[in-house]
Amino acid sequence: MNIQIHSEGKSSEAVPKSAFETYETAWCPGCGDHAILTCLQRALTELGKDPHEVLMVAGIGQAAKIPQYISANSFCGLHGRALPAAIAAKIANESLTVVVSSGDGDSYGEGGNHFIHNIRRNVDITHFVHDNQIYGLTKGQASPTSQTGHVTGVQVDGNINIPLNPMLLALAMGAGFVARGFTGDPDQLVSLMKAAIMFRGYALLDILQPCVSFNKINTYADYKSRVEPLPEDYNSSDFALALKTVQIFGEKIPTGVLYSVEKPTFHAQQATLSSGVPLLKRSFKLSAVEKVMAEML
Amino acid sequence: MSNRVLMKGNEAIAEAAVKAGCRHYFGYPITPQTEIAHYLAKRMKDVDGVFLQAESEVAAINMVYGAAGAGARVLTSSSSPGISLKQEGFSYIAGAEIPSVVVNVMRCGPGLGGILPAQGDYFQCVKGGGHGDYKNLVLAASGVQELFSLTMEAFDLADKYRILVVILADGTIGQMMEPVIIPEDTDMKIFDKPWAASGKKGGNVHHTIKSIYIDPVVLEGLNNRLQSKYREIEANEVRVETSALEDAEIVITAFGTCARIAKNVIKEAAREGIKVGLIRPITLWPFPVEIISETARKDSVKAFLDIELNAGQMVEDVRLAVNGKKEVLFHGRTGGMIPSQEEILDIVRRIAGGGF
Repeated sequence: MNIQIHSEGKSSEAVPKSAFETYETAWCPGCGDHAILTCLQRALTELGKDPHEVLMVAGIGQAAKIPQYISANSFCGLHGRALPAAIAAKIANESLTVVVSSGDGDSYGEGGNHFIHNIRRNVDITHFVHDNQIYGLTKGQASPTSQTGHVTGVQVDGNINIPLNPMLLALAMGAGFVARGFTGDPDQLVSLMKAAIMFRGYALLDILQPCVSFNKINTYADYKSRVEPLPEDYNSSDFALALKTVQIFGEKIPTGVLYSVEKPTFHAQQATLSSGVPLLKRSFKLSAVEKVMAEML
Repeated sequence: MSNRVLMKGNEAIAEAAVKAGCRHYFGYPITPQTEIAHYLAKRMKDVDGVFLQAESEVAAINMVYGAAGAGARVLTSSSSPGISLKQEGFSYIAGAEIPSVVVNVMRCGPGLGGILPAQGDYFQCVKGGGHGDYKNLVLAASGVQELFSLTMEAFDLADKYRILVVILADGTIGQMMEPVIIPEDTDMKIFDKPWAASGKKGGNVHHTIKSIYIDPVVLEGLNNRLQSKYREIEANEVRVETSALEDAEIVITAFGTCARIAKNVIKEAAREGIKVGLIRPITLWPFPVEIISETARKDSVKAFLDIELNAGQMVEDVRLAVNGKKEVLFHGRTGGMIPSQEEILDIVRRIAGGGF
């Protein structure tokens, strides 16, 4: 008898041996974060990255535990503050592949201000947002992306706030790469992760990720019935089309690369960094320091 | 008339705030105090109050600044990392003299640390974690009933002195359940707030809530006024519990959870013939300097033993109050670890035997 086991996040094809190891997690069974971890491992492996070349950065939350679960350089930052730490690490060492992987509350709520201003900065980093439309770590309060009317333990009459549309906000702020994935479609998710990492500039990938414990509305079944990959002939360099498409979030949720147009990065424009040599690898001339010291003393 | 119920410490804080006439709560989720928000989200509806989940702790403390500045009784609550974020607001609220109540259910740090109980925010809350010369009035309960009454009192103290009052509880006190007698009727004081941007007709129409004073003479004047207010609080508002001090040879100083453990130690030690007393500050600021100083002068007292869930914070204030008259020893646990009764008893035995 043939028994086929299909678990979320794992493609039916055999996964090649990865240099990236993953560790035991503290996530609930069935959590979409498991799929994101598996897809992340696959994406990094398929891009030919080595663990020492990658820096995983997160803030605080269930999603933000991910840097602790994969063998790469990892940075566990403050709640909402993953982006400033991530872009600064990229400034210090341009050769690092910097990936922020954190939740919707962390990225869009507590970190909302950093989100806006780091899009404007356009440092070449990748931002994966595990978007489950709820605060999972603190056991179920409305997050910035929770839908209006969502009843929780503290939104007892239902959420009365307008949900934040991260795709629309990112486009409005001038983001060059805006994409949406779903943990129930791991093959698509891996390709989106790879595209986001390869993109030169700030790349945002919002990943719909069901919280099986604290969000009983946005379940696998709910997302599955709503997500719809963009048509093959979708023109992701058409800003007007992107603006229109990102506003679709209801019965249908388009997934894929919604917008992708490269713009000058922070490093390309910054006088010191534009040479392309990471600060860490610049030669250090003692004579120059001695000269300054002699002048000052 | 009163009602006796079993409550978590966090729920007691929330219900006490409602009883004290607080009708505005602004908060952001963080363990181990989220029960306060969950309780008030439901309870505020019954009393025509407002519960609002903010986008961050920084937003929540500024909502407190705004609503309290408009004259309302307001509460926010958080836990250590969230309280760190609120420190900027603390300083501005102190400068603008806005009555506010903030709950800190402490967890262990530094940084994100862990979610288990600790008392590592003593310095931050008592000495002032924000910038400038200011004080918070800091109340520390060691049981759920006391947490209830201190929370109610906090609102009166805040209004009376136009000061920010911190309810400083550790995770144990916030999470533990004990019976609480809830008074049905309360003699809630109504404070006139002519300074508030309240929208009231008549009087001064230019109610400015601010902490900016460019003129150094004026700003020094504000600071002097704040300092004289702080001296008044030090003179009038010290709250302290003492136990078995009459013939004590060893005096334990402890607040919150540690004081509970100390009480059991005192009983056990007495059985072994070791005379141990307790000084439990309830107001961490104003600190009970006088009783500690008096006790240090007693011939019967050999040494002080300060116990805290940190690496030694309140012990500095104990040492200042003892002022070199007696030895002040310290035992602290960190990281969410809590000392056992036996662990402290063993130290007490060694002090009594001259071996600590």
